[in-house]
Amino acid sequence: MTSNLNLRHAIYWALFAGLLFAMPYLVSKGDLRTMIFALYVGIFAMSWDFLSGRTGYISFGHPFLIGIGAYATAILSYRFDVPVMFSIPLAVIITMVASTMFILPALRIKGSYFALVTLAFMELMYQLVQVIRPDLTGGTRGISGVETITRGAVNGFYLAAFLAFCVALFLWLLTRTRLGAAQSAIGMDEEALKGSGINATKLKLFTFVVSAAVAGLGGAFYVHYLGSIAPRAIFDINFVFTIIVAALLGGAGTITGPLFGAFFLTFLLEYLRPWLPGAERYLIYGGVALVLYMYQPKGMYAIAAKLRAGVMK
Amino acid sequence: MTILALDGLVKRFGGLTATNQFSADVTEGESLGLIGPNGAGKTTIFSLIMGEHRLNEGAIRLKGEAIQDLPTHARIQRGVARTYQVPRPFAEMTVAENIRVGLTPDSIMAMIFGSSNAAEELALAEAVGFEAADLDRLPNELSMGDLRKLELARTLATGAKVVLLDEVFAGLTVGEIAQISELINEKRRSGMTFVIVSHDLRSLEPLIDRAVAMTAGSVIAEGAYADVIADKQVRDSYLGA
Repeated sequence: MTSNLNLRHAIYWALFAGLLFAMPYLVSKGDLRTMIFALYVGIFAMSWDFLSGRTGYISFGHPFLIGIGAYATAILSYRFDVPVMFSIPLAVIITMVASTMFILPALRIKGSYFALVTLAFMELMYQLVQVIRPDLTGGTRGISGVETITRGAVNGFYLAAFLAFCVALFLWLLTRTRLGAAQSAIGMDEEALKGSGINATKLKLFTFVVSAAVAGLGGAFYVHYLGSIAPRAIFDINFVFTIIVAALLGGAGTITGPLFGAFFLTFLLEYLRPWLPGAERYLIYGGVALVLYMYQPKGMYAIAAKLRAGVMK
Repeated sequence: MTILALDGLVKRFGGLTATNQFSADVTEGESLGLIGPNGAGKTTIFSLIMGEHRLNEGAIRLKGEAIQDLPTHARIQRGVARTYQVPRPFAEMTVAENIRVGLTPDSIMAMIFGSSNAAEELALAEAVGFEAADLDRLPNELSMGDLRKLELARTLATGAKVVLLDEVFAGLTVGEIAQISELINEKRRSGMTFVIVSHDLRSLEPLIDRAVAMTAGSVIAEGAYADVIADKQVRDSYLGA
């Protein structure tokens, strides 16, 4: 597991941790709240990247996974008074189990079919939570008054930052192992990977379950940050695109790139708000994404890597 | 002792019967040439052995064990692997990383907690004719000969005892053919079993102990190379008579 790790990596991670720790002293409370949202989007984008960025199996239904985690902890804690310290781990387990049951048949299909199936899962979940047991899910209105686990922007930021840092480090370490190489091989030529003696279905299932666990974890903590959950906010196609564009802008397959992509995208949208308060802001971010893909399809991570290589010369 | 037994293989693609009651035995340590004109079904035989196509009828036994119902990865773990007509390297991985995938165990825990063995990767690379400096090269920097060597290294990395080589000389220069031939002969001397498909019969001949000729999915002749190639039915199938 320690292969390919060196002092440079340790320094980068320490600097990143230090920057996150110092952030509340450097920026306003308003920016801190924007950062909290960016951090959660970053967690979701890293979860997406671990599955789709590495293996090429594009998920258009990631809110399906986020939603299971979020609803599970909201229902457990709000309806059944389960303490949050138990409801969140349970929500992660429920996300892993439920998503596995849904995804097992879908792992044998590829390309646009896989993407469509995941999109269908999201839509299915959106419909289900509104009509099945609305006494538990809150129906179309969702659930308000869910217990929050932090008070104030600073605490909320530190919790989100701690989560995002742990998720980033965990996923990044995983991708530095031979597992990461095998995942990338799926994206390059799945048949050739099978021809190397590796059970690609098992590997995809593991990747999906880890991705689901991270999405469920992020969803669960996010609902306890917001204190409410509504189906229209989670199972929203704009939310899907925000996650995917953040991952692609940051650098698909790099794990840490999507976290920075989420920051870039969130602040871009936020700073555009005074001038473009409506949905037309999405046109701007679409334009920015287009320009970036034209000149650097591998995202901000690749730009940063080139800059670093230039400085090192 | 028979290491690979193909018994009455039938494969239909819709109305086309690509493999029609194909039977052949491969002895341990033997090098068998599988020859035939374009469209004879040679590559389909390889795909059936590896489980990339599902058999309609027949049985495939490796070291006596029926493997026709096993998935591809399980067959490879039992000791049979193949190369492809068109090399399929992992395009964004270096030579070393490509070989590493072949060496990777099929266990999630071993993938995570095990570490790669650089010395083993280098040994495999050198065994097929690469040098240490080649390990960091990407597939798009390699010649066709090098790509075939890379594929062979990745195949050997799986620990295969029976190696199926598909059109191993296609697109190679005379020098590269000589290099690959020497490598195959070296592996033959170490006891490895080969089934080789090639249209380049002149290069194939010195590498095989025996030949099986096929056309339209069926065996039409088998035996010593000289006898098979002199067979009238084989000549007619090649000449289209």
